[in-house]
Amino acid sequence: MKADASLGRRLLLGASVFIVVALVVATIVIGFVLHRFVQGQIDQRLDTQVAFLASTVKVAPAGEIALDGSADGPPFDRPGRGWYWQVSGPRNMLRSRALGDDVPDVSGLPLPPPPPPPPHRTAPPPRPADGPGPGGQALHYRILRLAIDGMPVEIVVTAPRAAVLGPLREAMTTLGLSLLVLGAALLLAILLQVRLGLRPLDRLRGAIAEVRAGRRATVPDEQPAEVRPLVSELNELLKQNAANLERARAHVANLAHGLKTPLATLGVALSAGGRDGYRYSAKLADLVDLMERRIRHHLGRARAAALAGPTRAQTPLAPAIADLGAVLGKVHAGRGIAFEADIPAGLAVACEPQDFDEIAGNLLDNAFKWSATAVTARAVAEARWVLLQIEDDEPGLSPEQVAHLLKPGQRLDETAPGFGFGLSITRELVDLYGGSLDFASAAGGGLRVSLRLPKAGVEPTP
Amino acid sequence: MKVLLVEDDAPLAELIARALRAENFAVDIAADGLDGQHMGDTEAYDVAVLDLGLPKVPGATVLRAWRKAGRQLPVLILTARDGWTEKVDGFKAGADDYLTKPFRVEELIMRLRALVRRSTGHATPRIVCGAVSFDAQTGVFELDGLPLRLTALEWRVLECLMLRKEVVVERGDLTEKVYQGDVGTDSNSLEVIVARLRRKIGRDAIETVRGRGYRLTAAVAP
Repeated sequence: MKADASLGRRLLLGASVFIVVALVVATIVIGFVLHRFVQGQIDQRLDTQVAFLASTVKVAPAGEIALDGSADGPPFDRPGRGWYWQVSGPRNMLRSRALGDDVPDVSGLPLPPPPPPPPHRTAPPPRPADGPGPGGQALHYRILRLAIDGMPVEIVVTAPRAAVLGPLREAMTTLGLSLLVLGAALLLAILLQVRLGLRPLDRLRGAIAEVRAGRRATVPDEQPAEVRPLVSELNELLKQNAANLERARAHVANLAHGLKTPLATLGVALSAGGRDGYRYSAKLADLVDLMERRIRHHLGRARAAALAGPTRAQTPLAPAIADLGAVLGKVHAGRGIAFEADIPAGLAVACEPQDFDEIAGNLLDNAFKWSATAVTARAVAEARWVLLQIEDDEPGLSPEQVAHLLKPGQRLDETAPGFGFGLSITRELVDLYGGSLDFASAAGGGLRVSLRLPKAGVEPTP
Repeated sequence: MKVLLVEDDAPLAELIARALRAENFAVDIAADGLDGQHMGDTEAYDVAVLDLGLPKVPGATVLRAWRKAGRQLPVLILTARDGWTEKVDGFKAGADDYLTKPFRVEELIMRLRALVRRSTGHATPRIVCGAVSFDAQTGVFELDGLPLRLTALEWRVLECLMLRKEVVVERGDLTEKVYQGDVGTDSNSLEVIVARLRRKIGRDAIETVRGRGYRLTAAVAP
């Protein structure tokens, strides 16, 4: 059997082999016992006849033997059935009527030597023998040699082997059928047991699938004792995996942030050089910008790449938008832009808070940048989605321009300066959450961004 | 205008300080959170530039400590951490503005000027006091519509008075705002600077309030 074959099949096969062996052994043992029992019954009957014959045989002074009465009671009265008796004296021989003229050749049988008679016994028990009788019929013999009035007399009584084998066969047939039914029932029980016994594995598989789908953080601990160590190992592995991921993200972030300070130094130095008339500084400053974009882009990617599939996280919309609005209000404090948010309380998106901040922050920041007087954010709940609409009131870029900039595969370098290039990361994050981002002209002439993100608390469609 | 720059990267701090001084700002540098917090607690600054990842005490902790102690000093966070969540956290800790590295030094200067202007209660960049006008966004003074040429110290004194026009500015405050931590006050005493300013913008524009300090005013003295 291959090591990776089905566990159920292994258990079933093992149990089947055991059951078959057990049943076969049981059949053999029971058959043996039954045989002895039936044989015993027959022997007892034959021995009764032997004893009867021994008690009725009379020996005449001349050595002739004779029976005192008839010994042909049933079943010894029917000819040709194998129930025979015969008494041999030194001079003559008496035999059952059923035998007719056929004399069983007793002397030709391989008779076992008589066991030494126990001293306290008056007569040794008759000895058994098997052999063919008249007409080749298989017979069972009981033979007793004794001395009556000093004359050696041999009494032979036979029964057909069929008298033993017939009932035995009948009993064994019934027994065999019962054992077959028993075996089948046992196999069925084992099949059922294997199914039931392995059901926790099925449940475990389901739980792991849920972990993979992001609906659970760990596999639940309530498992059968045999599976629990496996589950706790699995959970440890998940935890370690999450920790490794977190560490990898932290490393990327540290690398990015570590690069930014020297980059900032370079930027400031170039700008100082520019004032001193260094003529390449503008070009170099652009390079610094480009490097920064690359770093930010890949930092965002590192965060986003860690996200695969739906998440358990929830972000309540109203406080997150309020926080971002407050931040942007301060960042753009000098421009007096009014921010109005209309978000139903209790509405939440199935999004990591940091990712939502990144998505909504970039969109709102863009709106603030292009707005003349006011930015509005409205949210409504749909069946599976939350629709967040962000509007500004100044035509900055046309929806077509924005859509072009956000086309997948659009190279970062081509992103228009001044236009928040964080939007390409926004697009990637929205895609990862299975959401959508649409651009249209707002009623006031500005840009309306419609963001759809999965609603929290709704089972994601597989 | 005096800036507290809390930044642990020495070359960057030096370059920023140089760029700010070129714009007539007085700049003190603190290289770690502990020094920064102490300097912000004990000296008068118009604005602070605060890095978040600082040795000894993190920037956010410094900021919270200042705010808890009731210090209203405008703070601009200058950090490599550019996530929106970090921005929200920074503002919740009490920041007034946020700039991520790398940045254009012009952007930093513009934002610092705007912060100081707003913190002194001026909604628009243009501040006028009599014949003198000041563009808080570009840092340019004009007298009767013509550019006014000022030395760094003169600029600092006049800016400080301009942002608080018609209000008496304490001598001590003025001294603190004008001189950088390590520069002595003896060579260019405040009186000398004020006297030079009076020659440039008119005797009556700066009024001496005995025992207290100076006031920039549009009212013509009787």
